[in-house]
Amino acid sequence: MNKDKENHFDVIIIGAGVVGCSIARELSRFKVRVAVLEKESDVGWGSSCRNSGVIHAGFNNKTGTLMARYCVEGNQGFQNIARELNVPFKKSGKLVVAKDNSEIAELKRLKKQGELNGVNNLDIIGEKEIRELEPNIQGIAALLSPETAITSPYIYTIALAENALKNGVRFYLNTEVKNIKKKANGKFVLKNKNTDFRADYLINSTGVYSGEIARMAGIDRYRIYPCRGEYYVLDKNASSLMNHLIYPVPHIEEGGLGIHLTPTVDGNVLIGPSNEYIDINKRNDYAVTMEVLSKLCKEAQEFLPAISPRDFIRNYAGIRSKQTSPLQGGYKDYTIEESEEAPNMINLIGIESPGLTSAYPIAKKVVTMIDKKEKLSTNTDFNPYREGILRFEEQDEETKRKLIEQDPDYGEIICRCEQVTKKEILQAIDNPLEARSLISIKYRSRAMMGRCQGGYCQTRIMELLKEKYGYKWNDFLLRGTESYMLTGNRSNGVKAYD
Amino acid sequence: MIKKDVIVIGGGAAGLAAAVACREKGIEDILIIERESDLGGILKQCIHDGFGLIKFQHSYTGPEYAQKYIDQVEERHIEYLLDSMVIDITNKKIITVVNKKGLKKYQAKSIILAMGCRERTRGAIGIPGTRPAGIYTAGVAQNLINLHNYMIGKEIVILGSGDIGLIMARRLMLEGANVKMVLELLPYGSGLPRNFNQCLFDYDIPLYLNHAVIDIKGNKRVEAITMAKVDRQGEVVLSSCKEVPCDTLLLSVGLIPENELSKMAGIELDPLTGGPMVDEYGQTTVSGIFACGNVLQVHDIVDNVSLEAEHIASGVEKYISSLLKLKNYISIEIGEGLRYVLPQRVQYLADDTTFSFRVKKPDNKKQIIFKNNNRIIKKRSFIRVNPAEMIRIKLTSSELSDIKHLKVELT
Amino acid sequence: MKKEFICIVCPNSCSISVDYDKQEIKHIKGAQCKKGEGFVKNEIKNPLRIFTGSVKCINGNYQLASVKTNKPIPKKYMKQVAQKTHELFLEAPVEIGQVIIPGIFGLDADLVITKKIKKISI
Repeated sequence: MNKDKENHFDVIIIGAGVVGCSIARELSRFKVRVAVLEKESDVGWGSSCRNSGVIHAGFNNKTGTLMARYCVEGNQGFQNIARELNVPFKKSGKLVVAKDNSEIAELKRLKKQGELNGVNNLDIIGEKEIRELEPNIQGIAALLSPETAITSPYIYTIALAENALKNGVRFYLNTEVKNIKKKANGKFVLKNKNTDFRADYLINSTGVYSGEIARMAGIDRYRIYPCRGEYYVLDKNASSLMNHLIYPVPHIEEGGLGIHLTPTVDGNVLIGPSNEYIDINKRNDYAVTMEVLSKLCKEAQEFLPAISPRDFIRNYAGIRSKQTSPLQGGYKDYTIEESEEAPNMINLIGIESPGLTSAYPIAKKVVTMIDKKEKLSTNTDFNPYREGILRFEEQDEETKRKLIEQDPDYGEIICRCEQVTKKEILQAIDNPLEARSLISIKYRSRAMMGRCQGGYCQTRIMELLKEKYGYKWNDFLLRGTESYMLTGNRSNGVKAYD
Repeated sequence: MIKKDVIVIGGGAAGLAAAVACREKGIEDILIIERESDLGGILKQCIHDGFGLIKFQHSYTGPEYAQKYIDQVEERHIEYLLDSMVIDITNKKIITVVNKKGLKKYQAKSIILAMGCRERTRGAIGIPGTRPAGIYTAGVAQNLINLHNYMIGKEIVILGSGDIGLIMARRLMLEGANVKMVLELLPYGSGLPRNFNQCLFDYDIPLYLNHAVIDIKGNKRVEAITMAKVDRQGEVVLSSCKEVPCDTLLLSVGLIPENELSKMAGIELDPLTGGPMVDEYGQTTVSGIFACGNVLQVHDIVDNVSLEAEHIASGVEKYISSLLKLKNYISIEIGEGLRYVLPQRVQYLADDTTFSFRVKKPDNKKQIIFKNNNRIIKKRSFIRVNPAEMIRIKLTSSELSDIKHLKVELT
Repeated sequence: MKKEFICIVCPNSCSISVDYDKQEIKHIKGAQCKKGEGFVKNEIKNPLRIFTGSVKCINGNYQLASVKTNKPIPKKYMKQVAQKTHELFLEAPVEIGQVIIPGIFGLDADLVITKKIKKISI
């Protein structure tokens, strides 16, 4: 499958979320010419960066479904991938807490389901044990899942992409697919506003847009029901309030896991997500709403009275690609299939939670589907390892001292709240995907994610961009093209008299 | 480990004044540690005037006021480090400093905390809506315009009628932007009266009291905000919602004393001020660590910052001379109507002490009364009191002598 | 024409509203003393303000020099002075008090520098 023309690929993946980037990385283990087309200015800006970062154990998913199978497989294999890709990973464990006796039956059901799915070490604990593990939480019983873990979903997505890139995958950011044409020979032509791309295989991993992309190829059977989840991010001070992920007993009809409290790998706490179906035309509306925010706050405080609004530092939202309507509720299993209308196009539809956990098994499945047809040969140059940006703040004092000695850029702390140094910010700016929005720098370096939300460091990062890259006012973008942070220079001046 | 008699963390208005005052008291071994590339702190970007009316009977701009103290630091050869960040401080007064030259530890006999404050953010107050470009806290906007020569927007809505927001309203208008309105949650303005005249009324910028921003629209850049009236209980009156097209939302919604280092040192903070609990010398609950300026309480005028900083120098000097033995302190009780009192406790009762207060709401014809076990020791009358204007009252050492229980009331 | 002021003469901070036509005052409401009325009259007849702004500076450790008028000027000139600051630039080093434009727009006030800027070698 050799393509020597510029925009001709064996496989084009549309959508650089965690699933798309996983598939890219898995394909790069083989001698395949792969490109990823992403309409945003960076990878993961859809659901992948906007979730709780949980690597679920797999007891929430119905036995026999792909969701259950991939979740357990993904959970059990995650530590290894995290190590290869230098991605944060913490087995915090989860407690699903029952408030009253009526919920205990559900805990038992979940435990049984989990065990059937292959989840290890699930246990039901009583009030006293809950208090010992979590002094601030009250409940009469809880399901303890020690295998539930947390990661940084954006670092994971970025790491997958960087490793895929290193192993030969091409990434085209700011590249929106406007049109898909099937040629007589079964191959595809994708039109972006400036360029044409050609591919033998197409992978549709576009999340909330997957129905629309499928329709471009003539497949009209997929319906996506966007369902938004809003979050609060709490100050690191709040991390002392809990050790585990704390979830209520889920109510299946709601189609979500209920408002839960999740510690993050960086030491923050997340409240959420909420669960609201929104109109398909608003599927990229990541607004947070007054009604939901107050509901989140209230419910969180009921769960954990020690939570104070004084600890709130930020809100965000993500959108689930559900295949069940508001009336139906619940979940539909993952759809990963080719179709008669467009053979060789693999559509991934409805990859909602546990999508992050399942990304790697899903990617392997997709590769298997292609391998069956093409008999892929191994890329002997494949390197699974990717090195991330070293976090100064995490090092012990002696290491900090040495780092500064070797490179004085470690001695300039730019982000006070998160102790991020100039060195790390320069590395973030200089990322291999060439994503240069402030948000891209933020995700990679952690600067601007602290309690002052960039109050101190934002202007300093802009200074660095100007100094090192000659940025003009219109080069400063917050989140991609047209996201101008400034509207011009203040003045340029003509010489004054002396 | 390098030993120092006094380490001042922060080279802004408070730190500079404290360092100079310490030198005046005869302390030689002083080090100022400043994280920016120059001394002066926030004054560097406050190019408006109104600074120094009390201290110098003259209206200076921020940079001019800062230079007065920077000149004194230079003249007295007080040592300072720039581009240096304190990353740790212990209750044994060991400070860890990071800069390009390396990671160094210092053992201080006494420490003066002068780290100032940070701005309250959009995220902290949970304004609903999207998170596009064009949302700035007033201080960041001020920095971008006054230090970096950028324009941040064309059609501006300002949330919060605090001084920084008002000052920026004027600046933006003069620089060619259109400030459409200032929205204020409270039933009264938060800034100084003269700023309302000179920054809003001069430019016909409407002020809407009892209003909040309940939505922000725009994917890449702000496109509009939704303003709404707020009733007396603080609930949004949904029927009053109005969408205002704009490209910038400027936030001037409060300042928070930056006490992360103070917490590391185990210093007790006062939830009413956001700053450390201190005694009449500005000494925190960790002996030998003092605090002054915005890190202690949010100030409205820099003159009071300088006065506060100058005062603690006498405490620092006494401490170094081992004249401040820890005693049983007396907590000051505050009556209704007062938001806080500083210092929160008195121990030594040996010197004149200036107390700082803020009231909870604006009012006319009020008295502040100091009582010692129900015996009135001082009374001061005010034609008008305003939360935006700090009240300072001095009690002499003789007035303070024999205090058993101190209460301050607003009547 | 209607306008509102907060009187700054004394701590009462009276909210005074005034109805006027050009510079003739028709009606003042809200002042509790004559000084307040006087303040408002002056604000209508001859309001003076100190202008503060910044001017670009090259070869210095800051790219902007903050500036002010060293005396208050009639309010109506504020925008013009602001515009003027856009049309100038300075070269470091500059000192506080240095006069950039003496008698700006023929007024009894100079535009002076309020920030010390050191020269840096490029």
